[in-house]
Amino acid sequence: MPERLSFYKKQDSVLHRLNPLSKLTIALGIIFISFLTPFYWAPHLLIIFVIIPLSYLGKVMRDYFKAMLRLILPAAGFLFIMQALFQPFEGSELFRIGFLHPTQESVRFAFGNATRIFVMVSSFTIFLLTTHPSELMTDLTRRGLPGQFAYVIISTLQIIPQMQAKAQTIIAAQRSRGLDTESSFFRRAGAIVPLVGPLVFGSLVEVEERAIAIESRGFTSTHIKTSLHDIPDTTADKLIRWMFIVFIILSLVSRIWLS
Amino acid sequence: MSIISENTVYFIIAVAIIAILLVWAYVTKRMQKDFSTLTWVLIPVAIAINVAVGQIVVTLKLPVYLDSIGTVLVAVVAGPWAGALTGTLSNIIWGATIDPNAFPWFPVAFFIGLVSGLMANAGWFKSWWKVVVTGFVVALTSAIVSTPIAVYLYGGITASGSSFITAYLLQTGQGVVQAVLSTGFLVEPVDKIATAMLAFAIIQGLSKRFVARFPRPENAEVEGTASQTQLIIAVVIVILLVLFAVFLLGNIIGG
Repeated sequence: MPERLSFYKKQDSVLHRLNPLSKLTIALGIIFISFLTPFYWAPHLLIIFVIIPLSYLGKVMRDYFKAMLRLILPAAGFLFIMQALFQPFEGSELFRIGFLHPTQESVRFAFGNATRIFVMVSSFTIFLLTTHPSELMTDLTRRGLPGQFAYVIISTLQIIPQMQAKAQTIIAAQRSRGLDTESSFFRRAGAIVPLVGPLVFGSLVEVEERAIAIESRGFTSTHIKTSLHDIPDTTADKLIRWMFIVFIILSLVSRIWLS
Repeated sequence: MSIISENTVYFIIAVAIIAILLVWAYVTKRMQKDFSTLTWVLIPVAIAINVAVGQIVVTLKLPVYLDSIGTVLVAVVAGPWAGALTGTLSNIIWGATIDPNAFPWFPVAFFIGLVSGLMANAGWFKSWWKVVVTGFVVALTSAIVSTPIAVYLYGGITASGSSFITAYLLQTGQGVVQAVLSTGFLVEPVDKIATAMLAFAIIQGLSKRFVARFPRPENAEVEGTASQTQLIIAVVIVILLVLFAVFLLGNIIGG
């Protein structure tokens, strides 16, 4: 079973060197702009002039297109087809098959919606491709996020692959003992208990030991902890963050003004 | 346009209520009591349980998700806020590692944790039939919370399989909000009741000594012993709830 712990792709690029918080601001900024803007074509222009150049700048264009084909396009495409066919908008009919009658308005609406979802998922994907989770957590902890949150995120990322491997082992073991996981619905539903039980009980047993281990390393200590890695935060970073905040406010203002 | 602004007011009121509750719980130290070291260690394990069980269910090709068992587990033994945090982080991590499409649904997971924790605090997680009711309440909450996300972010029809029901209801001439809400009421109860019952079974299987170390062991105490009768009561309640849901739906569609 191939494991994909995170999307992160190690590269040396302008985008990778940016402060993690700035990248988060850029990602959220793009999403807010595309959802708040009153101009119909703004999200489409964002894809062409911001998202694709950003992926090039971060040297993750290939990975981005791979993720796009695998995750983003199927979801956005499904959304587009469903909404174009089923949104009951009045307007000039394009064609009619049985009870389906997409109108110009519904296709326009569906295209706009699918593009916004596309922008949202794309901008998250590029953020995840260029930012290592522990780097983001270190930076946020330095800015005042309680250390417990960082612990939860980082250790979850470590536990999930272990747990998935354990689940596969349990499925294989129970199958070899004759557990039916492929026939009728009730057999399959009944198979949940012997699969979930060992997995959950096995992992909960470790919880107590883990708690003692991290407690003995000063987990709940309120002293300020120092970090081994220094994450740069330049003037350019601050400038980018403020710029995107201004963009978001501008699009919100134009939305309220123009509607 | 006037309808949208009215809904915006409701949205702001809902967010304000949650924020006030959060501040109240923080200031009165109710929240801090729930977040012991053991809780912090349980949360990552619970998130991993959500992910792993969700994938087992996919392997078994069952028509449910069961991806919030860990969330309910934490909510019962460590209180509503710990449950809400587990749900939120679970969704964020699901989005960051498996599928970025999961991000926008984190408020749903937040409320699943919060509501199941509140129900457990009120003593509704102590026997089979009560757990079924809890599951049903959680399902209603998650249907209600997911509606505005589906409507405003996706325009009503989302990228999940149950959207075919929404699409059908839209074609019959219903409004977007009613169509999405009805779909949620139809789809959620089975999933959430099964989730709550599995979480209950897991907690009953844990040793008393282990559960007692968490902040709220009293939520998981069982009352009564006649499990056979309880199971029958549970089944009857499920049937009644489904009838109730159908009745509600009929009213919504009719009106």
